[in-house]
Amino acid sequence: MAKLWVVFRREYLERVRSKWFVLGTVLGPVFFLLVAGAPRLIGARGEGTRDLAHIEVIDATGEGLGARVVTALRDRFPLSRAPYLTVVDETGATVAQDKAVLRVQREEVLGFLVLTPGTLAGDSVRYEGRNANSHNDVDAIRNAVRGQVLVERMEREGIDAQKVEQFSRFPLELHTQRIGDKGREKANQLSAIFLGYAVALLLYMMIVIYGQAIMRSVLEEKATRVAEVVVSSVNTDILLAGKILGVGLVAITQVLSWVVLSIAALTYAAPYLFGDEGRAAAVASAAGTVGAGGSPGLGLLALGIPPIPLWAAVALFLCFVMGFIFYASLFAAVGAMVNSQEDVQQAATPVMLLLVSSVIFMGPIMANPGSAMARTMSMLPTSAPIIMPLRITLVPVPWFEVVGALSGVAAACAASIWLSGRVYRVGLLMYGKKPSIRELVRWIKYAR
Amino acid sequence: MSDLAIDIRNVVKRYDQYAAVSDLSLAVPRGTVYGLLGPNGAGKTTTIRMMLNIIVPDSGSIILLGSPHRQSGITDRIGYLPEERGLYKKMQVRRVLRFLAELKGVKRRDADQRIDDWLRRLDLKNSEKDWGLAKVDELSRGMQQKVQFIGTLVHDPDLVILDEPFSGLDPINAQALKDAIVELKSRGKTVIFSTHVMDTAERLCDSVCIIARGRKVLDGAVAEVRRAHSGRMVALAVEGDARRLVAPVLADRRLISRVDDHNLYYELELAAGADAQEVLRRVVATGAAIQRFELVLPSLHQIFLERVGARGIEPGLTDG
Repeated sequence: MAKLWVVFRREYLERVRSKWFVLGTVLGPVFFLLVAGAPRLIGARGEGTRDLAHIEVIDATGEGLGARVVTALRDRFPLSRAPYLTVVDETGATVAQDKAVLRVQREEVLGFLVLTPGTLAGDSVRYEGRNANSHNDVDAIRNAVRGQVLVERMEREGIDAQKVEQFSRFPLELHTQRIGDKGREKANQLSAIFLGYAVALLLYMMIVIYGQAIMRSVLEEKATRVAEVVVSSVNTDILLAGKILGVGLVAITQVLSWVVLSIAALTYAAPYLFGDEGRAAAVASAAGTVGAGGSPGLGLLALGIPPIPLWAAVALFLCFVMGFIFYASLFAAVGAMVNSQEDVQQAATPVMLLLVSSVIFMGPIMANPGSAMARTMSMLPTSAPIIMPLRITLVPVPWFEVVGALSGVAAACAASIWLSGRVYRVGLLMYGKKPSIRELVRWIKYAR
Repeated sequence: MSDLAIDIRNVVKRYDQYAAVSDLSLAVPRGTVYGLLGPNGAGKTTTIRMMLNIIVPDSGSIILLGSPHRQSGITDRIGYLPEERGLYKKMQVRRVLRFLAELKGVKRRDADQRIDDWLRRLDLKNSEKDWGLAKVDELSRGMQQKVQFIGTLVHDPDLVILDEPFSGLDPINAQALKDAIVELKSRGKTVIFSTHVMDTAERLCDSVCIIARGRKVLDGAVAEVRRAHSGRMVALAVEGDARRLVAPVLADRRLISRVDDHNLYYELELAAGADAQEVLRRVVATGAAIQRFELVLPSLHQIFLERVGARGIEPGLTDG
């Protein structure tokens, strides 16, 4: 036990001290912030092509609808430059449109809106402009026109214009709520998808990065021949265990640092990125995450995503730990099998394929988390460590499926530790060419 | 307490059909310097690795310092320098040494003190420079060898096992290593080292064991081994142009089994049953002018060649 601690401490400290670790830890949150912020920044752009109302309104109704629409647009989009109003009679509409096309071409306005008597009748309205393909923009303009047509009609029926104006001014926002087996859930669907994706990707990243770190570490001990001195003092099983635990804790340290730094970064950077609203959301959910105490690993998604339940957080953690041990021990065996950096990538290919196979199915599984494929992949020990967390965050997963998947991974873990321990024991002191499959079987057989 | 530092009995290690070590027994008294001699591939490294519990023997028993070698804690009292040497390249020297010391159960505080002493002693730390703070790969090869050596001895082991310790050492480090071995012995420690350089073994070892193809060829105290093989070796020098005259005598396989021509003199190994006096009579009879005719104690080198090199190893030739 004392020796396990010595090995463990070396693996941990030497890594945590390294420049690359410090750099990765600091740059991680910057990266995540960009990834987390990008959809919102892009989304914000989409919602308001900021100059949305900078258009020409050609009013051929003869009823003054244009003036109302211009006012409505100005009120609705205060940040945008104001719309122009051109009032024409029905015969002048065509000429006015031709002129407007030129203005749009010269980028004097974004587009133009043509209001006709047909518009007042509720039939149609025409919009042409550079953003005519943007559903958001076109919807916003249509809603503005629609509202004013309504007001105009009501007034015609003798309803008090001011009251109509009053009644019709309200921002109706649609709030959505996901319902699961246990009733209402806290996160909305989009956040859940993002959360699931982020968690699965993070698990994958950590397993790849730190699994390979173990592989290189074994290879280094072999290549520098330090292995023999070490195994003369400590049993190979303890050496392997210390290595996996040490490097695993480095991974956990890294994630935790990212969480803390990300929460800090979000708290301070959110106002600049997302305005005051974003700041409030970030702080609130960061506080909520920490307050819930269950899922610190998800704090980096503090951006408007509420924490997941405690049991799910525990399941996620177990998935990571066991998934890491499973793959790390396989990587360690690969490292012990080969003698050079050139050979190692090739020898690691089967293990990488196992890992990648779970990631390439992430897209379809996210699209349909209840499908047979999603269920199978989340139960298969090789992909469960990544796919099960994805499913848990997306849809309600029956407890027995989670327990089943975890037991499967645990069994796979035991098998890979046993196998890798034997390959490691023999391979660590074997120099020369890469073993064939037959030789590998012999190693496993002959290890004490 | 057993007075043997190493007591190996009937150890066998096979890899498929190939026997790396066959029925090997070794007894190394405490407080001695012991040489494990043999050609490359003789099974020296396998034997050493079995002692250190890196490889498990198929059968036989190994007792180190009075305890079975697999007993926990026994490896903490052993210092091991493998033939293939290396250290963690990117690690600070002091941290590597502390790691190796702690693996042997030395407390951190003690380890730091001892590392400091050793670094000073081997001039890796002086008023100008402390190499202990450098990374291993910043050190020259010679310095790395010193660090490796400190790693072997930092926990003050009772039994020191060195596998081909002199190979690749520069003369200065080789001298330092030799001094250290002598000093270890003077402090009552046991040192066993393997080598295929017989001269080193002859100068340094109290006792030796020669193994070849996994079998023991002979073992015992160096002086005794040499004495046991004396009377079989003759040094003969004749005047320059008389070399031609003695050639027929030297070619007589009934008298002389092997001739080693050193240019200035011959070294003759007598054939089984032949008598040195008979050889002398024959040489005199040729009329050659004899400058030297002497019965000599054979060097380990010659014994090695006689028992291993020339004829290889034959069945039944495993006694002392």
